[in-house]
Amino acid sequence: MEEILQRISESQQGYPRRLRSLPDMPACLYVRGRLPKEEQLTIGMVGARSCSGYGRHVAWEYARVFSDHGVQVISGMALGIDGESHRGALQGPTPTFAVLGCGADVCYPKSNRDLYEKIPLNGGLISEYPPGAPPAGWHFPARNRIISGLSDALLVIEAKKKSGSLITVDCALEQGKTVFAVPGRVTDTLSEGCNGLISQGAVIALSPEMVLNELGMDTYSTKGSGKKKQIGLARDLDLVYSCVDFQPTDHETLIQKSGFPPGKVLSILTELQIMGLVEEIGKNHYIRS
Amino acid sequence: MFSSVCSAAILGMEAVPVQVEADVSDGLPMFSMVGYVNSQVKETQDRVRTAFHNKKMGLPAKRITVNLAPGDVRKEGTGYDLPVALAILTALGRIPKRHLEGVMVVGELGLDGKIKGVWGVLPIVHKARGAGCHTCIVPKDNEAEGQLIEGIRVVGVDDLQRVVDLLAKGCLAQEGGRQSRLSFEHLETDLGGPDLSDIRGQEGAVRATLIAAAGMHDLLYIGSPGSGKSMLAQRIPGILPPLTREECLEITEIYSIAGLLTKEQPVISRRPFRSPHHTISPQALAGGGRTPRPGEITLAHRGVLFMDEFPEFSRRSLEILRQPLEERYIHISRVQGIYTFPADCMLVAAMNPCACGYYPDLDRCRCTPAQVRRYLSKISGPLLDRLDLCVETREPTYEQITGGSSPVSSAQIRERVMEVQKIQQERYAGKGIRSNSQLDGKDLEEYCPMTREARRWMERIYTGQRLSPRSYHRILKVSRTIADLEGEELITDVHIREAFGYRIVEQKYL
Repeated sequence: MEEILQRISESQQGYPRRLRSLPDMPACLYVRGRLPKEEQLTIGMVGARSCSGYGRHVAWEYARVFSDHGVQVISGMALGIDGESHRGALQGPTPTFAVLGCGADVCYPKSNRDLYEKIPLNGGLISEYPPGAPPAGWHFPARNRIISGLSDALLVIEAKKKSGSLITVDCALEQGKTVFAVPGRVTDTLSEGCNGLISQGAVIALSPEMVLNELGMDTYSTKGSGKKKQIGLARDLDLVYSCVDFQPTDHETLIQKSGFPPGKVLSILTELQIMGLVEEIGKNHYIRS
Repeated sequence: MFSSVCSAAILGMEAVPVQVEADVSDGLPMFSMVGYVNSQVKETQDRVRTAFHNKKMGLPAKRITVNLAPGDVRKEGTGYDLPVALAILTALGRIPKRHLEGVMVVGELGLDGKIKGVWGVLPIVHKARGAGCHTCIVPKDNEAEGQLIEGIRVVGVDDLQRVVDLLAKGCLAQEGGRQSRLSFEHLETDLGGPDLSDIRGQEGAVRATLIAAAGMHDLLYIGSPGSGKSMLAQRIPGILPPLTREECLEITEIYSIAGLLTKEQPVISRRPFRSPHHTISPQALAGGGRTPRPGEITLAHRGVLFMDEFPEFSRRSLEILRQPLEERYIHISRVQGIYTFPADCMLVAAMNPCACGYYPDLDRCRCTPAQVRRYLSKISGPLLDRLDLCVETREPTYEQITGGSSPVSSAQIRERVMEVQKIQQERYAGKGIRSNSQLDGKDLEEYCPMTREARRWMERIYTGQRLSPRSYHRILKVSRTIADLEGEELITDVHIREAFGYRIVEQKYL
């Protein structure tokens, strides 16, 4: 692993042009894999680590569409929105890049091992910290300026009112980048940050195509979402499915809404799960997937 | 002159006969006790001497030696006071020896000569009958408890003077002749206790509880604080079948040894519900002490062991549960030998979904993903594998609390549980299995026939959800119980899918 980690300093040719113009950029970068292509459109995606099922779904879907359109997705490989953005982007043909808060040869968080292995195959893991640097709390706000610096635009998926993602937004605004935000329900604390950004003038991102159009790119419909859609479900299944939301819905609520006996509801939920339409994210809490 | 009186020591769950021998001879006046006695038993001599004094039965200035045989059994407790007193009186010739033949004696003396209750009377009386004794002299407080055993005369006494009078005249027989208040024949099992009809909403959790009770599966409730986990658990003993007389006796024997029987409640006639606090030590849970006494898991025998705040129990306490839950017995090894206690209980555990209790409701949950994972990792592992069912409890809505739905009563649910348990007993007759939860390996194949559709679904679930073989077995066992509840011989796909919904979820994180 040592030999594939390259060091690129400011004086070298390969140093990203996007960063050169900025005042507080790192003197050198450590890269596993490669750096984003200069001429290609790049979008940074950030959001809450403890996100909702809705946030995960949106991050995955947007990133996949971006990747299909040849847009590079940059994020921080953290839990939640970050990781899901990378996962969505990996579904498409375009490489994705992660800016880490630890050495580029350190896998953090450990549960994102899959991303740590897959991202550098096409894209790259980027860090301003030397190899072996452990993840430290203050590294993370600092790496946010690199995420926004490397991107042409920043997309915020889900953020609480006081979220670390908003630091990235500040960086992006200072660097003169466009900020997009995905709206949420006004009652969700996880959407307060995004809705707030929109009210302050961020561009509302109602669909990935809308983001791309805004950035001056033509869009075309991409092959289905990769995840299955509900097609001709049996009546009972359809009824239960319609009660499941993108927010976690529990077993008890589904029994109430559908009016079926508890055993039947569970049986139907299992069926929906096996069909890939529903996911159980906590004990007896289900979301659409 | 030498004399001997029969008494007994409790070792684990068994009473062992102990001969209390006394010798009064000439020599320097002294009182010595030998025979592997602990300091509790050594104190006997002071109590006996003072009681004699206060009853004006002064001891002669002679050399008194008391021996408790066999010498290799450690004697504990205060129950040897009365036998020592009677042995000395017999040695002094105040009680004819033959009046104490075939009589087992147990009881503690007060300084005033009153006789106080002791623990373990029921197994002692049981042993006395086995050893061929015809009469047991026990403290009045323990009389009702002792009289549960048939075929032996149990005489309750509360005063030393009175015992001596009875024995001197040899009229014990008339004393114990009357019928006991609580004859075994008329033992009534108690079905009282909290009722399921108090529960509002929770249809899913009630259904899981019914399945668990019907197949004696261990159960885990997950839910936010105040969502009714404890309330449901407390109602489980009430939906299990009423205790049989043998079970009553068995449980009462355990409680007798644990010293938990009172004069007011000499018999345990309701299924036990034990709810140890999560700070409990492994010894208190499993049973312990130099001569081991029953722990919570034994006290929950034939009933429910409820462990609230499951992840807060120390890892050692949780680990110690594994073997007894598997074998339905707990073995405790000591220098003197291995003691075996029964531990056939239904484990019901409850936990919050995360440290703050509201995950996955992200509007309310204040935990970071790492905190949620850390909280749950405390119980991950082999013990979770023991729990067959897992269900979420959910606080009822306002409409449900104010009554709307028609609640089911414990009696209705109990009927169904009994039906299903009867099916199981018939199916497993002579196989040494009592319930679906005890099925494993080969038996599963034999007793869990599936329809073709069910097999197909099982395969899809197994491969699609990457189940472990162990969770496969669990789902199969639970499906068996669900099929029994529906009165079907073959397990269908619907049963399999429902059972899958009750599996333990390795929670996924954001």
